Amino acid sequence: MARDYPLTGGEPPLQLTRRDFTAGLVSGSFAAPALLGMTRKAPQRIEGGFVFEDQERGHKLRDHAQFPAPQRTVKVPVVIVGGGIAGLSAAWWLQKRSFKDFVLLELADRAGGNARWGENGVTAFPWAAHYLPVPGKRATLVRELCTELGLLKDGVWDERWLCHSQQERLFINGHWQEGIEPQSGMAREDFDQFRHFAERMKAMRETGAFRVPSEDGAAHQTTGTRDLDNITFGEWMRREGLYSPYLRWYLDYCTRDDYGAAAGRVSAWAGVHYFASREPDEKGPLTWPEGNGWIARRLIGRLSAHIQTGSMVHHIRPNGHRWQVYTEGVLYDAEAVIFAAPMLLASWMIEPQPPAWPVPYAPWLVANLTLEHWPKEDDSEPAWDNVVYDSPTLGYVVATHQNLGRQPNRTVWTFYWALAGGAPADMRRVLLGGDWNYWRERILADLERVHPDIRDCVSRIDINRIGHAMPSPVPGSMFHPERIRRATPQGTLVYAHSDLSALPLFEEAQHRGVTAAQHVLRLVGRG
Amino acid sequence: MAVALFLSVLLIAACGLVYELIAGALASYLLGDSVFQFSTIIGSYLFAMGIGSWLSRFLDRALVSRFIAIELMVGLVGGFSSTLLFFAFASTGGFRFLLYLVVILLGVLVGLEIPLLMRILQERFNFKELVSNVLTFDYLGALGASLIFPLFVVPRMGLVRGAMAFGLLNALVALWSTWLFRRHLPHASPQRAACFGVLALLVAGFVYGQKITDTADATLYADEVILARTTPYQRIVLTKWKDDYRLHLNAHLQFSSKDEYRYHEALVHPGLASLAGAKHALVLGGGDGLAVREMLKYPSLESITLVDLDPAMTELFRTHPLLTKLNANALNSPRVRVVNADAFPWLEQSNDTFDFVVADFPDPNNYSLGKLFTTAFYRLLKQHVSANGLIVVQATSPMFARQSYWCIVETLKRAGFRAWPYHAYVPAFGEWGFVLAGDRDWRPPGQLPAGLRYLDAKTLPALFDFAPDMGPVPAEPNRLNDQSLVRYYEKEWREIIH
Ligand SMILES: Cc1cc2nc3c(=O)[nH]c(=O)nc-3n(C[C@H](O)[C@H](O)[C@H](O)COP(=O)(O)OP(=O)(O)OC[C@H]3O[C@@H](n4cnc5c(N)ncnc54)[C@H](O)[C@@H]3O)c2cc1C
Repeated sequence: MARDYPLTGGEPPLQLTRRDFTAGLVSGSFAAPALLGMTRKAPQRIEGGFVFEDQERGHKLRDHAQFPAPQRTVKVPVVIVGGGIAGLSAAWWLQKRSFKDFVLLELADRAGGNARWGENGVTAFPWAAHYLPVPGKRATLVRELCTELGLLKDGVWDERWLCHSQQERLFINGHWQEGIEPQSGMAREDFDQFRHFAERMKAMRETGAFRVPSEDGAAHQTTGTRDLDNITFGEWMRREGLYSPYLRWYLDYCTRDDYGAAAGRVSAWAGVHYFASREPDEKGPLTWPEGNGWIARRLIGRLSAHIQTGSMVHHIRPNGHRWQVYTEGVLYDAEAVIFAAPMLLASWMIEPQPPAWPVPYAPWLVANLTLEHWPKEDDSEPAWDNVVYDSPTLGYVVATHQNLGRQPNRTVWTFYWALAGGAPADMRRVLLGGDWNYWRERILADLERVHPDIRDCVSRIDINRIGHAMPSPVPGSMFHPERIRRATPQGTLVYAHSDLSALPLFEEAQHRGVTAAQHVLRLVGRG
Repeated sequence: MAVALFLSVLLIAACGLVYELIAGALASYLLGDSVFQFSTIIGSYLFAMGIGSWLSRFLDRALVSRFIAIELMVGLVGGFSSTLLFFAFASTGGFRFLLYLVVILLGVLVGLEIPLLMRILQERFNFKELVSNVLTFDYLGALGASLIFPLFVVPRMGLVRGAMAFGLLNALVALWSTWLFRRHLPHASPQRAACFGVLALLVAGFVYGQKITDTADATLYADEVILARTTPYQRIVLTKWKDDYRLHLNAHLQFSSKDEYRYHEALVHPGLASLAGAKHALVLGGGDGLAVREMLKYPSLESITLVDLDPAMTELFRTHPLLTKLNANALNSPRVRVVNADAFPWLEQSNDTFDFVVADFPDPNNYSLGKLFTTAFYRLLKQHVSANGLIVVQATSPMFARQSYWCIVETLKRAGFRAWPYHAYVPAFGEWGFVLAGDRDWRPPGQLPAGLRYLDAKTLPALFDFAPDMGPVPAEPNRLNDQSLVRYYEKEWREIIH
C-alpha cells in the first residue's frame, strides 16, 4: 500500500530538536539569553504520562505465572468474566429477564473495557470507543437499549446526542475541507471512481450478506461473498480497477480507523462490510463527551450490585458439571460461565485449552490532550472529528464538541493512532518501545503540521497504549472454523466478546453478550 | 514688552505641538494602529526639529525678517496640513509619503523658530535669564496645547478647522513681530503685506473649513470610531457619522441609531401587544437593551430577563451616556434583570417560564451561532414558554437570504410551534425578517403602546404579507446534527457578495 509508512526500522529515532535544545538552554545553566529577553516566550510545559499500563498482568496470564491461592469460595449460578460492553450487555439482558443470581468479574478498577472513559477539570473524554453509528431499523437490540437510555423516543432520535455539525473535516492540500471524503484537488476521474465504488457497495448491501450484527447476514452468504474473505481489501480494489489515490487513501483511512489495519492487510469481506452493512435512518453518529463511556456508565449504574471490579480471573477449570473461576482472592463455583474477556486470553486461562484464536490484534495508541486554549484558525471551525490527509495517524476528536453552548476556552482532544504501518507484532514492539517523551513528540509533530502553535496550547498529554486493542479481520478470519465454533453458544461455558465477530464494534459486543445471556438463561431454565 | 515677547514663544510652541498631534490623530484615524502612528510621527517630528535647530546656524543676516517668514510658512503649512492630508488620502496612493513629508517640513521650520528667536532676543536679556524664560514658556505652551487639543480643538473644531485656527495664530505672531521688532525692520511694509495675505488665506480656510471637512468625510472616511473594545467574545465598535450611531459586532452591523426603532418596534410589538396578560419576558441576545426599551412600554410586564453572553456589552449599554440615551436607560430599570450567560446552556438549567421571549441572536454565519436556531433549541425554548405565550425570532433577511429565512420558519414548525412569519423594512439592513411562534392562535393586536414611530395597529397586519420575491421556498429544518441553515446562509450571502 502506498499509504503505509515504513516498518519498525523506519521509525525515526528520537532526536533532540532545535526547540528542545533552546528550551534546555533557557531552563539550564545558560539562562542569560532568557534574562536578556532574547528567546521567544517559553513554550507551555507539557505534563502527562502513560495510563492503564497493564501489559505486565497480561504477560503473567500468558506465562501461566503462579497466583496466590484464593482464600474463599463463593457459589453462584452464573459468572460473567469481563465487564466490557459484551459482559455488561450479558448482565443487562439477565437483569431484564429478572435473573439476579450472577456476578460480573472485571479486572480493572472500573468496568467499561474499550468503552472506558476519563474525566478532568475540563470535561469527560473517551479512552477508546467514542461513537455509536445510528442503528438502522433492523438493529433491534441496539434500538432497545437506546430507547431505554432515552436516546430514541417514538422512533425519533434525540438531537442532543447525535453528533453536532460540523461532524468531520479533512486537512488536505493545505486547508480544511468539510467531510472526510476528499473533495479538494480531485479530478473528474477521481469522482468517477468514488461513484463506481459507491455503486459496488450498493450492490453488496443488496445481497443481505453484510449486516450489523454480522451474524444476521450469515444466511445470505454466497460463494461470491465468501470469496471476498480470501483476499485483502487492497487486492479487491486492484481487481475493481480502483486506483484513484484519493479513493485509496480514503478506504485505507477507513480500515485503519475501524479495524486498526491498512486496507492492504484486512480481508476484503471486512472492508466491504464497513461500507455495505449500515442503513442509518438519521445523520449521526451518536456521540458523547466520554464517548461510549456514556453508555457504559449507565449500564454500570443499573448493574452495580452485580459488578466486582479489581477481580482478575486467572484460571477457569471444569469441576464435574460446574466451573471453578479463579481470582486472586475468591474462587467462584459456577453452573455457567460467560467468558466476555478478549478471545486471546481464553487459551491462556481456560482448561482444557481451546484451539488457538485465529484473528490477530491491532496495536493502538490513544492520547488525551488537555488544551489550555485552542490553536489559531482563520478559515475553519473545529469539527468533532479532525483528520489529516496522508498522516499515519487518525486525527483527533474534540471531547467538548457536544457542548450546547460555545466551545469553552479549555478543551480535551482525543488523539487516535492505529499503528498499522507493519505487522502487528512489530508495531506492538514499537508501541511499547517508545517512552512517553518519544510519543509526545510524535503526537505533537503530527499535529504541528496542521496547528503550528499546538505546543503553546497543550498542557497535558496522557497516553493509553493498547497492545492488543482490537481484532484485525485479516483474510480467512470471517469464515475460520475456530471463530465460528466459539461464536456458536454451546455447553455451560459460552463466549461473549466483540472479538467473536472479528469486527470491533459496539453492536457486535452487545449482540455477543445478549446471545450468551439468552443461552445461559435457557441452561438455568429461565429462557 | 518682555512678557509679550515670551508670550509669543508660548504661542508658537503650542502651535508646533498641535500640528504634531493633528498629524498623529489623522494618521491613526485613517490608517489605524495609533501607537505606531503616534510613535513614528512624534519621532520624525522631533528629529526634524533637530535638523531645524542645526540649520539655524547658517542664518546670519536679517534674522527678524527670516523669523517672520518662517512663522508665516509654519502657519501656512500647518494650517493646511490636515486639509491637504485628507484629500491626499482620498485621491492619491502616496498618503504616507506626504504625511511624513509634511511632518518633517513642519518639524524643520518649528525647529528653526526657537533658536532664531533666542538669537534675536539675546542682546536684550542676559543669557541665563533668556534660556530659562524661553524654555519655560516653550514647555508651558506645549502643556496648554496638549490639553486644549483633545478637550477643545478636536471635539469643537475638528481636525481641519483646528489646524487652520493654529495656522492663524502663527500668522498673527508673525504680524505682531513686525511691531515688536520694528527696530530691526526698517522696511516692514512688505512683511506686513505678506502677513495679511497669509491671514486672509487661513481665515478663508477656517470659514470654509466645515465644507472642506464634509467633502473630505464624504469621500474618505469611514465613520468616525468613537468606541472600540475587544472582549473575549467579540469586537464591539461604535461609529458615529453626523448624528447616526452604528454598532458593529465583529464587523457586522447591529443597528443604526437612525432607524433601529423600526427594527425593534417590529421585533417586539406584534407579539407582545397581542398578549394581554404578559407578566414575564425573556430576551436572549440583544445586550444593547433596545428590545428591552420597547418592552418597558408595557406597564403590565413585571420582569424582563436579559441573557447576553458578553458582560462588556451589557455594561456598556448600562453606563455609556450615549448608549443609555439610546436605550432610554432600559438596562437600569428595576424591572430588568441582566444575566451574562450562554443562552443555550442557561436555558437548559433554568426552571423559569416566560410569557414572551425574544431571540435576538446574531445571524447564523457559523455552526456555533447556528445551534441557537435549531429544532433542539426551539424545543427547549418551548418548555420555557407559558401556554399562551409567544416567542419572536430575528430571522435574517427574507430578501437577501430567502432560503435561510424560510429555513428558520420551517425549523420552528418542526419544533412544534405554529409560526407567523413577517418582515419590516429597516433602511440600514434592507428588508428584514422575523418569525412569531406560539402554540395557540395569534391575532394582530388591536392596540399598540403610545408613542411608536413606525408601527400602528392599522398597518401592522401588512407586515405579514410577503411579496412574491420573498415568499416561502422549501427548506430543510436546521438541526444540531445537520445544520442546513448555516449552509444556506453561507451560500446566499456569498452569492450577494460576488
Ligand atoms: C481505540 C479503540 C477505539 C474504538 N472505537 C470504537 C468506536 O468508536 N465505536 C465502536 O463501536 N467500537 C469501537 N471500538 C471497539 C470496541 O472495542 C467495542 O465497541 C467494544 O467496546 C468492545 O467491547 P467488548 O466487551 O467486546 O470488549 P472489551 O472492551 O475488550 O471488554 C473486555 C473486558 O474484559 C476485561 N478483562 C480482560 N481480562 C480479564 C480477566 N482476566 N479477568 C476479568 N476481566 C478481564 C477487560 O478489562 C474489559 O473490561 C474501539 C476500540 C478501540 C481499541
